[in-house]
Parts: sequence; C-alpha cells; structure tokens
Amino acid sequence: MAALEASLLPLSGPFGHILILFPLVFLVYLGAGALAWYRRPSNRMGALILWGGFAVFVGGLPNTDIPILAAAGQIGATLVLAVIVHLLHAFPSGRLRGRVSMLSVATAYVTSLLLQAPGYLFSPGGSAPDLFIGENPSLVAAGGTVQKLAGAAVMLTTAVVLVGRLVRADNQRRRVLVPLFAYGAAVMLFIPFSGQILKVLGHPSAEVQTWLQLLAIGGIPVAFTWGMLVGGFAKTGELQELGSWLGATGAERPALTRALARVLGDPSVQISFWVPRREVFVTEDGSVAENQIGDSNRASVHVELDGRVIGAISYDSSLISTPEPVREAGKVLALAMDRERLTAELRRSHTDLQRSRERLVDAADQERRRIALDLHDGLQMHLVLLALDAQKLANTLGGSAPDAGAPQRATTLRKGIDSAAADLRSLVHAVMPAALIERGLAAAAEDLVDRMPVPTTLELGIGARACSPAVESTAYFVLAEAMTNVIKHAHATSVRISLHLVEDWLRMEIHDDGGGGARLSGATGLRGVMDRVDVLGGQASLVSRLGEGTHIVVELPCM
Amino acid sequence: MHVVIGEDEALLRHGLQLVLEDGGFTVVAAAATAVELEKAVEIHRPNLVITDIRMPPTHTDEGLLAALRIRRQYPETAVVVLSQHMQRRYASELLSSPNGRVGYLLKQRIADIESFLADLLVVAAGGTALDPDIVALMMARAKLSDGAVRALTPRQHQVLALMAEGRSNSRIAAELFLSGKAVVQHTSRIYDALNLPLDSNSHRRVLAVMRYLSES
Repeated sequence: MAALEASLLPLSGPFGHILILFPLVFLVYLGAGALAWYRRPSNRMGALILWGGFAVFVGGLPNTDIPILAAAGQIGATLVLAVIVHLLHAFPSGRLRGRVSMLSVATAYVTSLLLQAPGYLFSPGGSAPDLFIGENPSLVAAGGTVQKLAGAAVMLTTAVVLVGRLVRADNQRRRVLVPLFAYGAAVMLFIPFSGQILKVLGHPSAEVQTWLQLLAIGGIPVAFTWGMLVGGFAKTGELQELGSWLGATGAERPALTRALARVLGDPSVQISFWVPRREVFVTEDGSVAENQIGDSNRASVHVELDGRVIGAISYDSSLISTPEPVREAGKVLALAMDRERLTAELRRSHTDLQRSRERLVDAADQERRRIALDLHDGLQMHLVLLALDAQKLANTLGGSAPDAGAPQRATTLRKGIDSAAADLRSLVHAVMPAALIERGLAAAAEDLVDRMPVPTTLELGIGARACSPAVESTAYFVLAEAMTNVIKHAHATSVRISLHLVEDWLRMEIHDDGGGGARLSGATGLRGVMDRVDVLGGQASLVSRLGEGTHIVVELPCM
Repeated sequence: MHVVIGEDEALLRHGLQLVLEDGGFTVVAAAATAVELEKAVEIHRPNLVITDIRMPPTHTDEGLLAALRIRRQYPETAVVVLSQHMQRRYASELLSSPNGRVGYLLKQRIADIESFLADLLVVAAGGTALDPDIVALMMARAKLSDGAVRALTPRQHQVLALMAEGRSNSRIAAELFLSGKAVVQHTSRIYDALNLPLDSNSHRRVLAVMRYLSES
C-alpha cells in the first residue's frame, strides 16, 4: 500500500522530497503497529497504531491526481489528529476507560471528520473540487471556528485526563508515561498550530512546516510502541503457552505467577488461593492476600474448578482492560492452581509448624520433668515410709512378746499401700487415660465430663475410634486442658462441649460461661496442646473476652 | 464354687488365684488373654468369671467385651470385671446384661480381701457389686443437676451409695452401724424422694438407683 501511495504521489514534482514522507511515515506506523500487536496479542494498542497508519495514508491522498482518492484524503485530512487523541487516551491497554475519555475521543473524531466538512464543501479552494457544493464563506468560517473550539476542548480534557493518570500512576509507570504523554500532547498541539509556531521561529516556509508535521506524526507510533515495550510490558504469550508451561515438570518450572504475568503481560499479576477452612485468600508464599478493593487500578477475577472457587487472580485494570483474558487464563490454570493452593496452605503453616515443633519438644521435656518430680516427691516418699512401717511391723512380730496391735497395724499398712497405688493410678491416668486407650476419644471425653465439678454437657457426634489415635488423643488433651482451666480459673457455672465429624475433620467446640480472659500465651498447658494441633495440621481458635466466657474451637484432619 | 480368671499380668494372676483359693473358691482355669478366657469358660462352665478389662492382643477393652458375651451366652455364669479406672459407660454396659450376676470393681479392691470375697459371693449368688468409686462418681454427677438428690441428708446419701453398690440392707446396717429397721426407714425415704419403685431384688434395686443417677 505504501508503494501504491508512493506511485500515486507526484514524487518527481517540486515537493517530491516531502511527499515521499507520507508512505514512509505510513510504513513506520505499519511496522510499529505490527510489532506492538505481536508483542501483546491481547492488547489493542497495536491495532490502534495500525489505524493511525491508515489515517496517515489518508492524509497523504489529497496530493494525488486521482479525484476520488483526493476527495477521500480531503475528508480525512485531520483524522490523524483524532487518532493521536485516541492513542493517548487508550494507552496502555488500547481500550478507552471512563466516560470522559470516551467522550473526548468521540468529540475528536467528530471534530476531525464532520467539522472539517464545511472547509471542502463550501470553499472552492480545496484540493478536492469534486466535493465542492457551493460557495458559502460564512459557513466555512463558522465551521472553522467551531472546529477550533471543539478541538481546543478536546485538547483541554485530554490534558486533564492525562495529568490525572500521571498523578495516580506509580513511579515506574510514570517514567514511561511522562515522556510519552508529553510527546503526544506536543504533537497534538504542534500540528494545528505549526504555522503560527514556525512563524515565531522565523520559518514560514510551508515546505518545512509539512515536513516537520509529518516527522512529528511519524514519531507517534515509535513513541507508543517504545512506551509499551519499556513499560514493563514484556512480550506476552498465548494461552497455549500457559498450557504447555503447565505440562512442564521439574524444578526449572517457573512459579505460577510468573508464567501468568508473562501470558497476560502484566507484571503485577497476583495469584491467591482460597482456603475454605479459614475463609481467606492466601498468596503463593502463604501470607493472607491483601484486599485491594480500595485501589481503582486493581481488579480481580475468581478462578473456579468444578463450580467452586479455588482462588483469584488480581491484575492491573489499567493494563488489562477487560477481565476476559484473565478469566480465560484462570480456566487454563484452575487445575494447577488447585495443586498450588495446597502448597500455599502448607507454606502458610510451615513457619508456625517449626515453632510449634520446638515448643512441643520443650513441652515433652517439661512433662517428663513433671512426671519425674511427681514420682520422686510423692510416690517414692510414700513408698519409703510404707517400707519403714512394714519393717517396724516385722520387728514387733519377730519379737518375743507378740503385739496385740499387729493386725491393726498391718491393715493400716495395706491402706497406705492402697493410697500409694491410687496416686500412681491417677498419675498414669493423667499421662494417658484408660478410656482413651480402651475406647478412644468419645468414651474418654464422656469420662472426663463425668468427673467435672461444674454442670457440663457433651454433644457427641462421633462414633468409637472415629479418627487416628494421634488425632483423638490430641483432641482429648486439648479438652482435658480446657477443663482444667475451667476448674482452676474460669468460675463457670456451665460448660458445653461438642464433638463432631465435618467432612473428614474432627471439630471440637468448648464453651464456658466463666470470666473469660484466657490466653494461649498465659495458659501454657493450653499452648502446649495447641501445638500438637498445629503439628497434626489442624487449626485452633481461642476467643476469651473478659466477662464473656471462653470459647475454643479445634479442628483436626481426621485420618 | 468354680472360678475362671482372666488376667494378663502373671503376678496378679497368681496372686488372685491364691486369694481365691484361700477364700474357699476353686480356680479351674487362669487365662492370659480374652480368647483363652472365653475358651476356658466354654470348657469349664464356671460359676464365676473374674477378668481384667485390658488384655492382649490389642490391650484395649477385649476383657470387658468377653465378659459381656459370657454373660449373654452362659446365664448361670456370674462375671466380675476388674479395672484400673472406673467408667460410667462400662458400668451401664455391664448392668444391662440380664438378671444381674455382674460386678465392676477397681483392681485395688483385691487387697481388701474380706470385702472383695464378700462381693464375689454376692455376685455369684445373683446380686450386683459396683465399686464405691463409680457410685461416688455417679452421685457427684447427679448432685450437680438433680435437686432431689441434693435434698437428701448426708446419712441418706451414704445409704443411697451403698444401695447402688449392691449392698443388701443387712450389709448396709453393718457397715453404717445402724439397726435393720433404721436402714429400712432410710431406704423407704429415699424411694419416696426419688420416686423409685420399691423392690427387694438386689439387682433390680441397683438397676433402678443407677438408672436414676444416670438420667439425672
């Protein structure tokens, strides 16, 4: 087409060196537009730049000798100005955002196409005599005035919109936007006013003026393509690319987010995963995803798998104007995201887990120390005293005079041994209760509740041995510790306990109507048992406001 | 009186055997596992079985389960279950076997030989014996929620507890140093207060009291 235009233009004429610029600038537009399109297939900037090329092409037509082309060129003589306005408003996504932008661009097109009309319809001096209807200088003058005013209005609103965007942009983006907008605005102003500007500079030659105009217009696609390429907008791929990335395995596989950022061309893309048990979104590194509702430039779409939400993709809405490409990518990603979701959940608890493991080892040592102390101070002393009694009794029995009180003393001795045995039993019971060993959690919880000095109800929604012994004993020790706290600190008048299986999770709730104010950091016994919950991959929450009782919910994966 | 013992600890098994034989019982078999126990019962058809709850191979509750099966299969064989720890659930499971002839005692009660042997005889004769521990647990529980139990006098509490343990009126009288008449008065007041049906059958009396305590 460029060659066609070149062949049509009177290049051998006196203005040939200027006219050759039309096909050249057109070529620049074509090249830049194609490059932009190739780099960002889902972005409309490329198409828009190509559209600008068309406007340049049309702009050069009045110089041809073919009347119909000249007429078309006359109609679209200032179209390129409207396209520049369009480009400025549409950068970087290629789509117009906001009503002001849409109105400005529409006005720009109307100004360049319709308000241009009186100039060639009613003025005999135009280069397209075919369009001439009749002379009407007043209409020409009026059309010119309205066109100038409308043009000025478009420029003003464009300036306001662009400045507003600059203010809102982050620093990285601003480095690109400032020179780009400045250049675009300069060209937009220079072309209609180039006559006056050049007059001031002392170069009134029309030749130079046209030359400079075309040069300025030719810089536009270069500038916009540059803006897209350096603005952190790397080459983006197709969805197929994402698919093949998902097929790749091994350690070299880049992170999900990076792959998605590449495909969507938005480096700020963030993937978050839905954790239904906590009802929050977490990011890849396991932290809770921030809610970015307040940021007008962030938007997000949910990713669903089999009808349930498994995550979300948050993206820069100034860069990706419609959620469609993101949603499409989300569909491709869904399965992989579900897998990554589990990893994210895992990472979330990894640090906690490490810490709780350390505390668990500590707690186990402390527990051993406590048991050793109990055995040593209590039981051992008790047994030593009993042994002394037994020896004294033996001495009296071995003596020459039989002691009438001997049977009585033997019975006392037996009772002493009984009580030592009872001590031992309660110690053993505290370490591992018989009911838990014999019948599992449900029976053990029931037994614990039976011994509560405070009215306590137990709602049992689990059968015998519903979960693994580790899970059951962990739940039991949380319950036992909670009951100890109720007795020692809570001053409660009633306690409610429920044990249920919810989708393969053991859910235990403990509510008391006591004084509240319990804290995990304070109640070291509770902290210790909660660590066991952590290690088993469970979750625990403790709410204990002053005066509102203590409420503990523990959930453990029931295997 | 023929007895079969189920106890996995060898020392305790022999100790128990000695105590029983000294007390005039004939130990026909001593089993170390629940399976052996049931086999021995099948062979010897003893008057009484004494078994531990926790036994090999799983060391959970197979002794208790064997006892319950024995009670169902051999109505003439009485069963006394020994345990380290008293549980309401086990008590009610044992009491639900038909016609009494069950006992549920802490292991340490063996040491009080006289009382232990007396309990065995009660059970073998068709009565019921519950450990004071489990009865105390039930009473404490009932007192938390039941005004009628709370309203009883301390003496009536003692009598109620002994009734639940399966003691006859004469044994209650002896234990509390009361006259037989006084015991009858206490029991009838308790029956009135708790709205229990009068029953002279020792097992049904235990059942009624325990059911009342359980449900309160």
